[in-house]
Amino acid sequence: MTLLYLVLGTLFGFALSRSGAADYDYIQGMFLFERFQLYGILATGVLLTAPGLWLIKRRARTLSGTPIEIELKPMNRGTIAGSLLFGVGWSLTGMCPGPILVNIGEGKVYALAALAGAVAGAALFGSLYERLQPLFGLPPLTKPAKAA
Amino acid sequence: MPLILHGLTPIHWAAAGAVIAFVTLTLLLLANRRLGVSSGLEDICSVVLDTAYFRRGAITSGRVWRFPFMAGLLLGGFLSAVLGGGWSPTWALGMWDQAVGLGHGAVLAWMFAGGVLTGFGTRLANGCTSGHGIFGNSNFEWPSLLASASFMAAGIVTTQLLYRVILR
Repeated sequence: MTLLYLVLGTLFGFALSRSGAADYDYIQGMFLFERFQLYGILATGVLLTAPGLWLIKRRARTLSGTPIEIELKPMNRGTIAGSLLFGVGWSLTGMCPGPILVNIGEGKVYALAALAGAVAGAALFGSLYERLQPLFGLPPLTKPAKAA
Repeated sequence: MPLILHGLTPIHWAAAGAVIAFVTLTLLLLANRRLGVSSGLEDICSVVLDTAYFRRGAITSGRVWRFPFMAGLLLGGFLSAVLGGGWSPTWALGMWDQAVGLGHGAVLAWMFAGGVLTGFGTRLANGCTSGHGIFGNSNFEWPSLLASASFMAAGIVTTQLLYRVILR
């Protein structure tokens, strides 16, 4: 399975690299409404994934027969607050989490700083979790949100 | 408009969207995995941070697939550079270089700060462009729709402020 994940990641990374999804100018062009490219990528991705997901959920099993389990994301005050922070970060760096790694692979030196920041941000979040949990209504640590 | 990477012409958006959908669906159909990259940031933390948060099940079971997947993202970018004209370290940053033109130290500080917002924000929101934007929206999940509207809005406001107001 490890090889499958590596191959899928490589395919994903190559497509992000060559489509503009990991390109500073294309990201700014999207936010400036000057480039349609990224909107087209996201829309096509969702429009093709949605019917596929529906079919897989109807089938209810993986190819090897394991029951499909999709962990749903919780809705809380962090959903919007966190996404707003992320949107600012995405604009500043021109990279969302996947493309940070893609840019490093391409040889973009500054992407290493973006990764260091992103890991530090995640570490900060995890370290403050108990204090942020009541503030944003996040799920308690002992009971991870899981649903079919 | 050419890419910053070797001035290459980008592939069609529909082709990129199709690859993203293929990868997302294959992950689920073959491996029962929900696409998501920002959780991988916590996986990296979990290697060194030994707290209850970073030892919870979602991380220990998820990093089994996310580590190789993230290695693939690096490899995909690397192969893209190699096949597109050769790999070499670069500081090229397109519009930024023309509009701002600060030194390398400032770029690193800027990127680190943006990275912190991305890392903290995506974990607070429980997802990023992949887990919320692609998977969640395709699965008609309300939190993902709200999250996507929020990060798009914040990105639009920030970039417009930077390039249309501050750097004008």
